[in-house]
This record gives sequence, C-alpha cells and structure tokens, in this order.
Amino acid sequence: MKILVIEDEKALAESVIDYLTDEGHLCEGVNLFSDAVEKIELYQYDCLVVDINLPDGSGLDLITLLKKKSANTGVVIISARNSLENRIEGLEIGADNYLTKPFQLAELNALLKSINRRVNYSGCNQIVVNEIKFLLDEHRVFVHNKEVILTKKEYELLMFFLTNKNKVITKMGIAEHLWGDYMDSNDSYDFIYTHIKNLRNKLLKLGCEDYIKTIYGVGYKFDLS
Amino acid sequence: MDKNVNSELAKRKNGIVNQFDSAYISARIPESYNQIILINPVRDTTSVAAGYSDTLIYDKLEKRHSVYRQLCFTIIYKTEIYRLRIFKSLEESDQLIVRIFLMMTILVFIIILTLLFLNRRSTLRAWNVFYDTIEKIKNYNLNSHEQFSLKKSDVKEFDELNKVLLAMTDKIKTDYFNLKEYTENASHEIQTPLAIINAKMEMLLQSGDMNESQYKAVSDAYEAANRLSKLNNSLILLSKIENRQFPESKIVDPKILIETQLEILEELLLSKNITVEKNYKEPLVIQMNPYLAEILFSNLVRNAIRHNVEGGKIVIDFLLDKIVISNSGLNHQIDEKILFERFHKSSTSTESLGLGLAIVRKICEVYGFTVQYEFKNDLHCMKMNFKANSDIQSIK
Repeated sequence: MKILVIEDEKALAESVIDYLTDEGHLCEGVNLFSDAVEKIELYQYDCLVVDINLPDGSGLDLITLLKKKSANTGVVIISARNSLENRIEGLEIGADNYLTKPFQLAELNALLKSINRRVNYSGCNQIVVNEIKFLLDEHRVFVHNKEVILTKKEYELLMFFLTNKNKVITKMGIAEHLWGDYMDSNDSYDFIYTHIKNLRNKLLKLGCEDYIKTIYGVGYKFDLS
Repeated sequence: MDKNVNSELAKRKNGIVNQFDSAYISARIPESYNQIILINPVRDTTSVAAGYSDTLIYDKLEKRHSVYRQLCFTIIYKTEIYRLRIFKSLEESDQLIVRIFLMMTILVFIIILTLLFLNRRSTLRAWNVFYDTIEKIKNYNLNSHEQFSLKKSDVKEFDELNKVLLAMTDKIKTDYFNLKEYTENASHEIQTPLAIINAKMEMLLQSGDMNESQYKAVSDAYEAANRLSKLNNSLILLSKIENRQFPESKIVDPKILIETQLEILEELLLSKNITVEKNYKEPLVIQMNPYLAEILFSNLVRNAIRHNVEGGKIVIDFLLDKIVISNSGLNHQIDEKILFERFHKSSTSTESLGLGLAIVRKICEVYGFTVQYEFKNDLHCMKMNFKANSDIQSIK
C-alpha cells in the first residue's frame, strides 16, 4: 500500500515510516504543508497519515484537498489535540480515523490494514495466514479448515496479532486496543495473560502451530518466521 | 370643636345684645333652631343657669330629637330681666368633621396612588437598563463567541456599572482564552515529544537483538512514558471540565452508558468472578454533555471493578433522580474527603492514576449533581444525585 506520512516532527515521522516500511508498505514522508500539497497533486496514494498542526497550514485542509482529487483514499489523522471538535470535524470531512498522540505504532498499523482492505480488496473478505483463515465479514476463524470458536475479544486479539505479525506488541498496546484508554491497572495485565493463554490453547487444539511468543516482561509476538 | 362653637355662639351673643340695644327684633320666626332665639322673662338673674350646655330639642321638620349646644344668658331690658337661649346644632358639626375626615383620607389616598404609579413608571424606565444588564449577566457564557454588549442608560450610575462590567468581562474573556490556549498548547507540546519517545521505544522493541534485561528496561521506560501521557491527558481533561469547555448538551440515558461499559469490560468481570446486580427500576435521563457522561459512567464502572475483590459483586440501583453504584472491596470505610482528591490511590492498585474519581466529582460539580460515598453492608456505595440538574439548567 502506498502511504504518505505528513508529520512535522521529523523523529516521529521517521519511526512511523520505518515501522510501516517494515510492514511492506511503500511509505513516503513530508514535513511541511506545502510539500504535502505538491505530493498529493502529483501522485496517487492509497492512504494518508496526517498531522493536523503543521507549521505552514492545517492538515484538515489537506484532507479536503485530497478528497476532491480522489475520494477513496484512506485518511488517518494523528493529532496531539484530543479535542472533540477537532475529532468530529476531521471525521466529517472524510478522515477514516483519528489517533491522539502519543499512539501505538501497532495501533496505527492495524488501522491502516483495515483501510487497506477497504481500499484495495473491497470484494475480498478473507485473509489466509499459513493454516489460519479469517472470514472477515462473518468474524469467523478457521484452522486447517476447522472453525475455532472465539469470543469477540479473542477474535479482536488475534486480528491485532495478525496485522502486527512478527512485531513485539506490548501488554499495554493490547490492553488499549481491546479495552480503550482507561485500562491502566496491573490486574488487567494478568488478565491479558489468561486471555492469551485461552486463545493459544484454542488454536493449538486444532493443530495450529504455536505462533504466539511471550517476550518476558514486555509483551507478545505473533512469530511467523 | 366645642371651643369653636362656643366662640361662635359668643360672637352671636354680642350681635344679639347689639340688636336688643337698638331695639330691633325681627318679626320673622326662623325655622331652624340655629337661628331661633328663645326669650323668656325671668324674675331675677340668679334663677337662670347661664352658660354653655348640651341639650336635646325636638325637630319638627325632621321629626326627631337632635343634639344642640346652647348658650343661656340674661339681659336686662327696660328693668325687665330676660333669659335668652341660642342654639347651634352639634350634629351638623359632627357630620362636618366626618366629611372633612373622609375627604382628607380620599385625597391622601389618591395622592399616594398617583405617586406610586408615577414612581413605578419612572423607575421602571430608569431600571430597565439595570434589569437588562442583570439578565445579560445571568445568561453570560464565556464560551459563546457572541459580543457581550449592554444597553446605554440615562442614569449615570448604571452607565458606569455597565462600563465596569464590560471592562471586567473583556478581561475575563481574554484571560480565559489565554488559559485555554495555554492548556491546549501545553497538551500539544507535551504529547508530541511523548509520541516520539513511544514510537522510538516501540521501534527499539522490534529490533530484536536485546537480552531480557534490556527488553525489560525499554519496556518499563515505554510504560512510564505512556503513563505520563495518560496523566497529562487526564489533567487536561480536568482543566477543560473546570473551564466548562463542553458546552454541548444532550439528553443521555445512563442505563445505556452503563450497559455499554459492562459489555466492554465483560471479560474483566468474568476473570474476577464479579457478579453484577442491576435494578433499573426508575427510568432516568440526564441532560448533559454526552462525552462527559460517557467518561462519568465509565470511570464509575471501572472504579467499581478495579477496587473489587475476587468473587465480589457490583450493585447498580436506579432510584428516583438517583443512581447508586455499589461494589464489594476491602472491608473498611474510606475517608470521603480524601477519596475524591486528586492523586489519591488505594493501596491495591498502584498503577491507577488516582484521577478517576476527581474527574467524576468535577463533572458533577459542573452540572450541579452531587456525588456521595458511603460504606454500607460491606459495600462501597457511590451515590449520584441528579436532582439539582434541572434547576441548574434553567439558571443557565
């Protein structure tokens, strides 16, 4: 997927681009509003990752400009401003999602993946990873063509792992993805542990390989290598 | 009054004496006793009770007795002694007094009424500007971008008051917007470096060539940075609520909000074996900002789960204008004063920020709700009372 990252903080842009390039995306970065306008005019992108506060303009104007040119391009706003009006305004002019800084790269990646599915494979609703098969519309998972009965949260967890395969995902990243912002107590980490144990057992039972690796004290990794 | 009558009679006596002296007596007999002079010859002056007295006389015309004041005196005319009596009706003067009194009262009454009416009209006109100012101050909303303007008045004092008020609101407004800008800028400025730290840490974690202790160090730093950003977000939220920057208001249904939270946290409830008892007896809706409502109930529900014990329970009661969320937990009372303080943490969950209940209280303050804590039947109860809500809304 071809992605343009518009972010004035060079260090942050660099990390985002590295992470996304590593995921196999074709990623370009610009720091200024004027450069972004030029890029949007000249090239075609599948998705835009855009910061609202740029030194020489507003990211919201970029979205309007982009939507005029190609309405189907996905847009993710990353902003330090967690204000409701900004969020609503952004979504109203056509952004797919709004992430508040600081955000998890894994979370951004998961969002981009789902946008990618919408933009590029609108007809296709199936993902196959080795012996695991996802039917996206029906929220069903198969291992060796046998269905795994997962709870809603387990399904979301597995999706999150798959979109960030071969990456270390922190416990906090998982907690935030599944339960939102307020999950901040130690108990919830134990809880994630039992959750992952359940998921792993369900997959192993049907002869799935043990892909979920525990990185001690940090989190987990869905290791396909 | 008697004196007046007496002196009147005395005057007339002098007149009559003069008339007798000039030997002229009218042949006409007057009809009213007021003009009648009764003259009787007497033998000597000593037998006559001379002086003033009251007497009843039968009035032929009106056919009743009336009270008269009489003056009795003697005169000597050509060696004969005569007793003379003259009268003045007392009833007439009584009636006069009553009439005068009535007249005066009515007059005074009319004057007072007219004055009141005139006064009211003129004050209404003069105070009109004042009431207008009060009304505008009542409806004053810092968040509105409308120009705050006041009527001009002829009264110097009111004009002065309006000028001072305008200057004050201008000052408050600029201060407020400076503060608002500052909090937003602070948020922005702190969040961006934090985002960089987080992104770099995450990339570092992905690099893979680290041993366990290095992983642990990076992970701890990563979590600390995340906590910092959450803390920052919560504090900004608190100040935003304080600044009343959530003007949008809608009808929200607490039942739906609580149900949503319980659904999101279902697994957490299961893992702790917490049973939830729901008594949605009274239907209840609240007028408030939907985003804040979500935060309010999310914080309360999460709080009830976080401080719960294995196999505990949560009881949600909807009463008239009240919601009570109770949870089992440590078996002792918590001091209500410090419970709602910022950064007050219970010993069981060191990872919590200690801002959840402070945010709950702040939201309640802004909307005029009350929130109380109580330890009853081994349950920690949070009582929310939404009753004052409607009053606050109407004042705004």
